[in-house]
Amino acid sequence: MRITNFLFSRVGKWSKQYSNLPERYIKRAMEQVYWRNPKGIQYKPNAIVQRKKYNFTVNRPWTGQFRQENAPGSLAAKVFVEPIKEWSHFRGDRVQILTGKDKGKQGVIKEIIQERNWVIVEGLNCELKKMGQRDDFEGVWVRAEKPLLVTSEISLVDPSDLTPTPIEWRFTEEGEKVRVSTRTGRIIPIPPSVEETIDYKTKGTYKEQPKDTAADDLSEITFEPALRTFEMDIMEKMGIKEDRVPPKSYWY
Amino acid sequence: MRNLINLFSKIALNSPRVVSYNNSLRSISTTTVRNDLMEFFDDPKNWGAEEVKSGRSWKKDELRIKSNTDLHKLWYVLLKERNMLLTMEQESKDQARLFPSPERLDKVEDSMENLEAVVRERNTAYHKLETGETGERPGRMEVGPLGIRYYYKMSEYPIPKHMNKKWQEKYKFYKYDKDVEAFLLKYREKLYLSKRKAQRRNFNHVIGLMNRFPNMDMEAVKEQYPDVDIEKAKSSRKYKGHFLPK
Repeated sequence: MRITNFLFSRVGKWSKQYSNLPERYIKRAMEQVYWRNPKGIQYKPNAIVQRKKYNFTVNRPWTGQFRQENAPGSLAAKVFVEPIKEWSHFRGDRVQILTGKDKGKQGVIKEIIQERNWVIVEGLNCELKKMGQRDDFEGVWVRAEKPLLVTSEISLVDPSDLTPTPIEWRFTEEGEKVRVSTRTGRIIPIPPSVEETIDYKTKGTYKEQPKDTAADDLSEITFEPALRTFEMDIMEKMGIKEDRVPPKSYWY
Repeated sequence: MRNLINLFSKIALNSPRVVSYNNSLRSISTTTVRNDLMEFFDDPKNWGAEEVKSGRSWKKDELRIKSNTDLHKLWYVLLKERNMLLTMEQESKDQARLFPSPERLDKVEDSMENLEAVVRERNTAYHKLETGETGERPGRMEVGPLGIRYYYKMSEYPIPKHMNKKWQEKYKFYKYDKDVEAFLLKYREKLYLSKRKAQRRNFNHVIGLMNRFPNMDMEAVKEQYPDVDIEKAKSSRKYKGHFLPK
């Protein structure tokens, strides 16, 4: 695996999902390349010098705040992140908070930061921050949610009795993968807001933009197999005739 | 799935002007509205916009069901869109303004890459059926003058290799050299050491994880760090939890 792929794979799938940004853009926005070997015969072709260690916080990797936090030359302290076999906390899940001043309260997951095993629960585990303080201005107090660890600080809630429960991934008889409460054996359904992104609530309610292709045009099958290459087909359709015989050439 | 579709092919696939595509109509432009240099710029109402929404890029599966003519048209639609976006990006830079939704560029380029891959697939299938070869540009693994292997892409020349002085001067492949052998020995040592260092780093990292998270799922650790021997890590002197052994 190339180093760029490795680095990129560290931005979790569920962290990117809501933003609805192409992976390629996220990679381009977060990478910091200091040197790239020019093309040509090189001792190390395609060698890249770039930042390898990123400090992941609540700021998303494609934002300016992330860039500021990871400014060239800055290096944050190492963070140990507990490996998780399968991510089981999704946007819209009801969870109970197990620590802090909101211990025992239940809320809904608003944001996922998979790189740190964090989720943000809407309206809970908040802190007050003073923002915009200047010499001539007192500043304003803003309430902001703090992230919570999915491994120890929150627990999913069993929908049958609304109490926290450990879960397990199992298969139904139809072969569907579901989360099951190990205490009561009830299925905890994955909320419909999983597919929600910043651009649409559900894929069905997406509002088409002027440059989008209509769904009917997209699914229309116009391909007809023929014993021709792409170029031969296009030349025939456009009425281009090529009778010239290329001179002898050598491949090496 | 429905509706979620990008990009721009509405113009290519739907426009009645481009449907008949024979020789006599080639002089007719496929462009509908503007036909001047302003085509390199975005719609004026998007100038200075905070965000310009767009769908997602074309997937390979969606391109595979389209005819060659459709793909040909779509390529130029995408190319024009990319030119427009690159112009807007440069212009925004020059004017020190915000270039809205830069991810559009990636969406277009993703679509273009997928389109090219689909065209390649079709051509390769034809060539394999007819000649037994892929028909792609040939190449082979070669060893460079510094003893490092790389993929050499062949090229087409009008004269054979033994007559081509220029090529012979440019492409030097490896022949035995004492100094290069000495260099390779050190180079491989360096590669080996960096690999060993990474292994050791992972090993120590797993110990750090075990010390911090005593109830950790060890299967997940094995999956994430396959080169670490967990039993060995547990018997390390660095691994000591601040809890009574069971």
